[in-house]
Amino acid sequence: MTGLAGARGTWRVAIQRPGRGQVAYVGMLAAVGVVYYASARIGLTLSLVERNVTPLWPSSGVAVAAFLLAGRRLWPAVAVAAFAVNLPITEGVLAAAVTAAGNTLAPLLAATLLLRVGFRRQLDRRRDALAIVFLGALASMLGSATIGTGTLVVSDAISSDRLVSAWSVWWTGDAMGVLTVAPFLLCLPLFRELSPWSAMSWLEASAVLVVAGGVATWTASSELPLLYLSLPIVAWAAWRFQLRGAAPVSLMVCLITTRTAVNDGGAFAQLTLFEQMFTLQTFNACVALTSCFLAALVSERNQAATALASAAVELENRVERRTAELSEAEDRLVEEMQGRYEAQAQLNRSETNARQDHEIAETLQRSLLPDRIPQIPAVALAARYVPATAHLEVGGDWYDVMQLSDGLIGLAIGDVAGHGLQAAATMGQLRMAVRAYAVQDPSPVSVMRGVHQLVSHLAMQEMVTLTYLVYDPATRTLRFTNAGHPPPLLFGGGHSKYLEDGVSPPLGVVEAPDFIETREHVWRGATLLLYTDGLVERRRESIQVGLHRLLREASGHEDADVDVLCDQVVSSLIEGDHIADDIALVAMRPLFEADEQLSLALPAEPRMLVEVRRALRRWLQHSEVVPDEVNEILVACGEACANVVRHAYPTAAGDMMLEAHIVDGLLDMTVHDHGTWRSPVDRGGGWGLHLIDGLMDTVDVDRRSDGTVVRMRRQLTARSSST
Amino acid sequence: MTDMARVDKRTYQGVEIVRISGEIDLSNAAHVRDAIGADLPDLPVVVLDLTDTEYLDSAGIAMLFRLAERLSYNRQELQLVVPPDAPIRAVIRLTKLDQVVSVKDGRDQ
Repeated sequence: MTGLAGARGTWRVAIQRPGRGQVAYVGMLAAVGVVYYASARIGLTLSLVERNVTPLWPSSGVAVAAFLLAGRRLWPAVAVAAFAVNLPITEGVLAAAVTAAGNTLAPLLAATLLLRVGFRRQLDRRRDALAIVFLGALASMLGSATIGTGTLVVSDAISSDRLVSAWSVWWTGDAMGVLTVAPFLLCLPLFRELSPWSAMSWLEASAVLVVAGGVATWTASSELPLLYLSLPIVAWAAWRFQLRGAAPVSLMVCLITTRTAVNDGGAFAQLTLFEQMFTLQTFNACVALTSCFLAALVSERNQAATALASAAVELENRVERRTAELSEAEDRLVEEMQGRYEAQAQLNRSETNARQDHEIAETLQRSLLPDRIPQIPAVALAARYVPATAHLEVGGDWYDVMQLSDGLIGLAIGDVAGHGLQAAATMGQLRMAVRAYAVQDPSPVSVMRGVHQLVSHLAMQEMVTLTYLVYDPATRTLRFTNAGHPPPLLFGGGHSKYLEDGVSPPLGVVEAPDFIETREHVWRGATLLLYTDGLVERRRESIQVGLHRLLREASGHEDADVDVLCDQVVSSLIEGDHIADDIALVAMRPLFEADEQLSLALPAEPRMLVEVRRALRRWLQHSEVVPDEVNEILVACGEACANVVRHAYPTAAGDMMLEAHIVDGLLDMTVHDHGTWRSPVDRGGGWGLHLIDGLMDTVDVDRRSDGTVVRMRRQLTARSSST
Repeated sequence: MTDMARVDKRTYQGVEIVRISGEIDLSNAAHVRDAIGADLPDLPVVVLDLTDTEYLDSAGIAMLFRLAERLSYNRQELQLVVPPDAPIRAVIRLTKLDQVVSVKDGRDQ
C-alpha cells in the first residue's frame, strides 16, 4: 500500500509533466512491475487449481488500474512482471511467456475498451459501473483465461478434461481481480482529488472497515451460510462514502472470503471444488457489483442532488437578482409615482388655496358692496360689479349709493390698489367710513377729509382713489370731489362731459391735500356714469382711448334703461372672456316727470312713504301746484299709500304703485296694489279714508281681483306764480 | 330720534315744551310718541310745538289722541301749537283733533 501511494505520486508527476524524461517513466515501470508482481504472489496463495489458477487474481486489477491511471504505455512492466510470476509456476519459458502475454493483453484490452466508451475512473456513474463490470472485467478477461488455460493444457500442467473448470476459474479469477482490486486502486487518487473527509468520516469509514473485516472473517469461517451478511456493510460503505468507502471494504471482504475458501474453512469445508468456486465467485461478484453499482448510483444521486442544489442556488440567485432588479424598478416606479403624486398634491393644494383665497376675496367683496341699490323715486339707479376672471385678481373696487337727509343722494366709487383679501378688507372699511361721514355731513369735502384722515391714521398700505358725489334731486345739482379716480361721465340728451374738475391726489398720498368741491348741473336727459379703471384701461393703450370708447358706447345706449345701459357698457368694453381687472360701475339717471305724469312703483313698506311724498312733492312743485294744496295732496296720497302698507299684504311683501297726472288743472292720482282689500271697519278707525275724503274732491275705491285701486281727484284752484 | 322727525324738549316757566320738527307718518309715529313720553316731567301743562312739523298723517293724529288721553289720566293737559299757515293745519281740522285738544296759533307763550 505505501509503495503504491508513492508510486501514485510519481504517476501524477508523469501525467502533469509528460516531457519530464525517462526517469519518471522507468520509475513508474518499476513501481507497477513490483506491485503487479507482489499482488500476483498474493493471488497465487489463493489458488484453488494447482498453484496457478486462483479465484481472485489481483494482478489483473492492478494492471487495469495502472493503465487507466497512468496510461497503456506501462504495458512492459505488466508483461515483465507477469512473465516473472508465471515463469516458476509454468512448464517452460514459452508457456510462461504466452501466459504473461495473455495477462498483459487482457488488461490492455480492458483499458482500451473502457477508454473507448468514455469510462471515468472516478466510477461515479452507472455506465462506468456497467463498463468496468462487463467490458473491463468479464469481456476482457475472456482472453487471458483462454490463453492461460490453453497454455496449461498444452503444457500438460492440467488434463484437458479440466479445461472448462480451469478456464472458468481463471476467467472468474481475473474478472474478480479487476472487479475488486481495480476499484480499490482507482479510489485512491480520489482521496486527494475529492473533498477531504472529516475526522468523523475517517472514524466512521475505519469502523465500517473493521466491522466488515470482522463480519467477513466470522461469516466465512462459520459453517452456517452467512456469507451475505457482509453485503449490508458493503452497501453501507457505498451509501456513506461511495467508491472511497465501498472499494476498500469490498476488496477486504473478498480477500478474506477467498482466503477462507482456499483453505477449505468454514462454509466452504464440505464443498467440492466447483461448489467452492461457484459459491465464492457468486459471493465475490455480489460484493463487487453491489459496491460498484451502489457507489456509482449514490455518486450519481449526490451529483444530481448537488447539481440540483447548485441549480437551485443558481436559480435562487437568478430569482434574487431578477427580484432585486424588479424590486429596484418597482422602487423607482413607486418613487416616481410618489414624486408625481406629491407634485400633483402640491399643485392641487396651491390651486385649492388660490381658488379658496379668490372665492373668499370675491365673497367678501360682494358682501362688502351694497346688497342692493336703494330705490329712490327721483332717480333711476343701476350698478354692476364684475370680478376679474384670473385667480387672486379680485381687487378693491367698490361703490356705494346712500340716501342722505333732505332727499340728497350720496354716491361713491373707489379703488383700493392691490388685490386679494387685504384689498377687499380695506375697501370694506373705506365704504363704511364714507357712509358714516356722509350721514354726519353730506358735503363732499367734509366726507373726503374724514376718509383721508382715516386712511392716514390707519396707515393703509394701499393707494386709495375715491370719487364722492352728492346729488340733490330738488335742484338737480351734483356736488363732488375726486381723489385720483377716473372722472365720472355725464352724458345724454345731446351733451356729454367727463367731470374732470375737483381732482386731488389719491387719499393718503399727500399729508394735507386740498380737496375741491365742484358743482355740475344735471341737464335733462343726462345720465351719470361712475366706473373704475378696469372698464377703460387696456394694456399698451392710452387711457384717453379707453375714455373715448366708453363715451361712444355709453352714448349709444343713452335712451336705454340704466340696467341695460350697464350691461351693454360692460359687455362692449371688456375684451373677450378675460377680465384682467375687476370693474365697478354705477349709473344714475335723474327722473324728470314734471310735465308728464308721475309714475312710481315702490315696496309697500313704511319707510317708503317718505320717498313717495318726496317724489310727489317735487313733482307737484315742478308742476307749480300751490304749497297749501301740495301739503293736502301729500296727506291724501300718504294715507292711500299707508293703507296699502298696513293692509294690502298681510303675509308677504308687495309693491305699491302711484300714478299722477294733471290735465286742465285737474289732478288725477291713483294708488294701487296687488293685495287684498279690507273694509275700513276692519282696518280700525278709518282715519285714512276720512282724511282722503276730506282732502280730495272725489275718491273711488275699485276692488279688483288682482288688487285694489284708489283713485283720487282734485281740481287745483290756481297756479302759483313761482316757487 | 329718527331721520324724519326731531323731538326737542325744554321746560319753560313751569311748562313742558316739546318741539317736533320734520315729518310724522306711519313709519315713525311710534318712535315720536316714545320720544315725547320719555322722561316727561310731571308738570300740569305739556305743550307740543308743531310749528316745524311738515307732515302729519292719520298715524300721527292717532298718536296725538292717545297722548292727550294718557296725559289726562295723569291730570296733565296737552296743548298744541299749530300756526294757521302750517302744512298740518288741514289734517288737524279734518280729524277734529282741535275739539279734543287745545290748539293755539303761535308761540305766544
